[in-house]
Amino acid sequence: MSAAVSNFPIIAIITFFLGAFLIALIGRLNKVLRNVLVFISVTVPLVLMCLLIKPVMTDGQIVAYWMGNWAPVSDWAIGIGIEVDALGLFFGLIVTLAAFVSALYSFTYMNRDDSLENYYTLFLMLSGALLGLTQSGDLFNIFVMIEIMTMTIVALTAFRVDYDGALEGGLKYMVVGSIGSTCLLVGIAMTYRQLHTLNLAQIASKLPGNMNAVTIAAFAFLLVGFITKASLFPFHPIEADAQTVAPASISLMISGVITKCGVYGLIRVCYNLFQNIDAPSVEILITGFGALSCFICVTMAFNQHNFKRLLAFHSISQVGYVIAAAGLGTALGLNAGLYHAMNHLLFKGLLFLCAGAVEYAAGTLDLDRLGGLSKKMPKTCALFLIGAASISGLPPFNGFASKWLIYQASFEKGVSSGNFYFVVICVICLISSVLTLASFVKVSQSVFFGQLNPEFEDTKEVPAAMRIPMWILAVLCIVTGLFPNQVMKYVTGPAANAAINVGTYIDTMLGQNTAAEYGIASQATTEIGKIGIWSPVSWLLLLLIITCAVCLVSVIEDPKKTTEEERFEYNKSKGRIAKFSRDGFKAAGKELPEAENAPAEEYDKPGHHRNPVLSGSTMTFTGERDPKYEVFFSGEMPEYSQVGGSDLFWGFKHSWRRYFSYWRKWHSGIVNDYVLYGVAALAFVLLYAVLFV
Amino acid sequence: MQVLLVAFHILVFPGLLFEILMGILLLGTCNKLVARMQNRVGPPIIQPWYDFLKCCGKETIVPRAANRNIYLGIPYVGLGIILSTALFIPFAGMKLVFGQSDLIVILYLLTFVSVCMIIGAAASSSPWAGVGLSREMVAMISYELPFVFVILAVAREAGRGTEAGMTFSLADIVAYQQTNGSFFLHPALIPAWIAMLFVIPCEIGMHPFDVAEAETEICEGTLAEYSGKPLAAFKLTHCVKLFVMTSLFAAMFCGGINTGIPVLNVLIVILICFAVMFVSMALPHGACARFKTEQVFRFYWTFVSGIALVGLILVWCGF
Repeated sequence: MSAAVSNFPIIAIITFFLGAFLIALIGRLNKVLRNVLVFISVTVPLVLMCLLIKPVMTDGQIVAYWMGNWAPVSDWAIGIGIEVDALGLFFGLIVTLAAFVSALYSFTYMNRDDSLENYYTLFLMLSGALLGLTQSGDLFNIFVMIEIMTMTIVALTAFRVDYDGALEGGLKYMVVGSIGSTCLLVGIAMTYRQLHTLNLAQIASKLPGNMNAVTIAAFAFLLVGFITKASLFPFHPIEADAQTVAPASISLMISGVITKCGVYGLIRVCYNLFQNIDAPSVEILITGFGALSCFICVTMAFNQHNFKRLLAFHSISQVGYVIAAAGLGTALGLNAGLYHAMNHLLFKGLLFLCAGAVEYAAGTLDLDRLGGLSKKMPKTCALFLIGAASISGLPPFNGFASKWLIYQASFEKGVSSGNFYFVVICVICLISSVLTLASFVKVSQSVFFGQLNPEFEDTKEVPAAMRIPMWILAVLCIVTGLFPNQVMKYVTGPAANAAINVGTYIDTMLGQNTAAEYGIASQATTEIGKIGIWSPVSWLLLLLIITCAVCLVSVIEDPKKTTEEERFEYNKSKGRIAKFSRDGFKAAGKELPEAENAPAEEYDKPGHHRNPVLSGSTMTFTGERDPKYEVFFSGEMPEYSQVGGSDLFWGFKHSWRRYFSYWRKWHSGIVNDYVLYGVAALAFVLLYAVLFV
Repeated sequence: MQVLLVAFHILVFPGLLFEILMGILLLGTCNKLVARMQNRVGPPIIQPWYDFLKCCGKETIVPRAANRNIYLGIPYVGLGIILSTALFIPFAGMKLVFGQSDLIVILYLLTFVSVCMIIGAAASSSPWAGVGLSREMVAMISYELPFVFVILAVAREAGRGTEAGMTFSLADIVAYQQTNGSFFLHPALIPAWIAMLFVIPCEIGMHPFDVAEAETEICEGTLAEYSGKPLAAFKLTHCVKLFVMTSLFAAMFCGGINTGIPVLNVLIVILICFAVMFVSMALPHGACARFKTEQVFRFYWTFVSGIALVGLILVWCGF
């Protein structure tokens, strides 16, 4: 390993923090300078992380860096270490990509806000903290980074203070988030008391031989701490509140990255530190949390009236998928979980940016008021459809590939362990998928399709600068969906192997054969078979050919119609132009000559008989719209008749009314209740850990 | 030669041409049977083909408020997807074009076809279509649960020979049946195929469960604004979906049929398709009035899911 490579992670982290401090100093002076500075500070870490892919992911090295060159002495690590294995790099890539996209989007999206230097300072500090968390090799450093992350995210959530509920969302996040931080701190303290070290590799080497009541309690505390950060059930209400009121670029960070840090922590704790993921009781606990969050949050999302709040509930639901898969404890399950974690950033980021674009253009996110925006914002609509198809798991988009793996992994786990519980998990995941689809049908119907509310008549497409980051995510969605085997081989496979092979990790940090001394067997590198039964590319090619053929056949039209006028006459002679078609409808070819456009004097000429079939104005003489020619209710007064988002799935909601009214009580909006759930969850996990683990 | 053979498989048999032909015949026969049950003469068997031709000759009208590109384009995407879905299903034990196939992929491709219809309806921006698409979605949620149970039961049973103990691969499922006998006769899987017979009509949107297209209530719902060639494409999609579902049933539960003579195998599977159509579509069509939306949901999540779950547990316990 070249010496330069080992410096990359720390340079990446420092770049974020340096950028933050520089912007705090000089951001007020010049807008262009500030934006350039932000751009540099988000691009450099992304490039550095990409440069690490080859040595870490492909060659399987672990990049270690000891701050101030305090290298461990006789396997006793005292200094602060940065250690990047494939798992850390995987999450580091997620963080830097999200920060890059989010900053790019903010340049235009945030231009209506003021005191942006504060925004960018906080934003870069948040990104730096997140990156530091994933790259750190020290448990206490992870806690420090989580604290920076929590405080910056609270400030950023409430950044638009004049927004309804912004301060409330921030406050709730701070209060409930601090429960998680406290749990982490207690867990770390207990671990330190037992093992007298904070270095991850050293803890990993010593813990398996030191399992007693205290370390198991520490495990429970760490687990609850990271569950809070991943915002799983029962911590989900605060996440929903925070993501709804935060600016869309920050919602992307919360849903795409901060929840992932909880996932990262869980994987590190269960796979590396305690190495107890193979224990059935741990598997049942973690997959249970995942599947519960997955199902409850997807049904809660069903009922939302706010675009971003709906997406927020889906974030937790998707993180539930990730946890349910990673908690299975198999190589395939971890692969599936990591794959889905990456996909979740891509599609949910895209959807949040779409929501931001709608908010930017139309000024509201109310699903009951919006509608018909696809004619006004066709490009955003196309991007939204890609994101919605990905999250609903429609092939060949990326959501399908990872969900397929999750089903396969959970069912396989159920069969191999003979435990019906994992089959239930599999069924819950499958059903949540169709419910996800349903709520995105709701969004597409009530935001982009359906009838246009007259108050959004002059909505305009968002600027191209906002669409570029969306396109980056959309293209990645399609690419990772089309090449699942390559993604698994080069990205998630190495990361999953790194998590499973804790022996290699310990050896790299503390010297050769350390792991063997402590009796930690090095695992064979697990080869995941290809997703051979599904080759999206050949299917897509075939689909394209068939669709093109069908379209070609349909385009070969009646050759008689040459010009527009002739065609009109031809249709008229065939009696094809019905009474309403002149005005209520457009013909498929081009627009028919509109009689409306004829000069008004025509009608005033003596002897001109106003024949509705031939002249067919949609306007009455008084200049109002003639109800006779209304598009959908001919003969009645036109009315705005959009089926609003809340009414869309009546048949389903009616059957589930008791379930929904039960959960409504849970989401009371009172922060005391949420704290109580947190304490209850902690008590439950502690009791469970002491009794069963 | 190899290329020509693959092209033949994709285009003629058991590909495009055969799918369309079978779909039309199945729907036509279904209509005829229902008519006979109700003491009517009924339309000719190839009436769906006439309907298709007639739709193709008509002018395509786009509502002023519709999103033109999506409205006109999505029916063809839906048709393309359903035509390619059929290629994932091993027909009468024949080799697949894709080499492999997967039940979960088929499940999601079928979902995608319904989504195409939903997006098309949404793009027309008609309130009738809005009601229709909401009902289509509820119907989809309804049949998904029993369908999932059936898939898991079959995957578990067919996986007994494999290393993982389960397989979603339809080719493996058929191969397992070839050696161990059809699942249709397997006692543990009887509840599973009964549930599957209920899933099929709802998946296709046939009469007692056609809440989304209820002509008399909501003017054909999702199809309310469609006319001309896009409507023809949707009609054809409906026919092919009928064939896909019946042949999926044949592959999942009657995959063990092997007389040694390929032509005879094909004829038997075609017969099975018609039998499934008669039992699961024509009979309820003739016997029942249309369900309400919430009735469909309740029926599928209690009764049908119950049967399917019993099937899954029976298979799980190894009966």
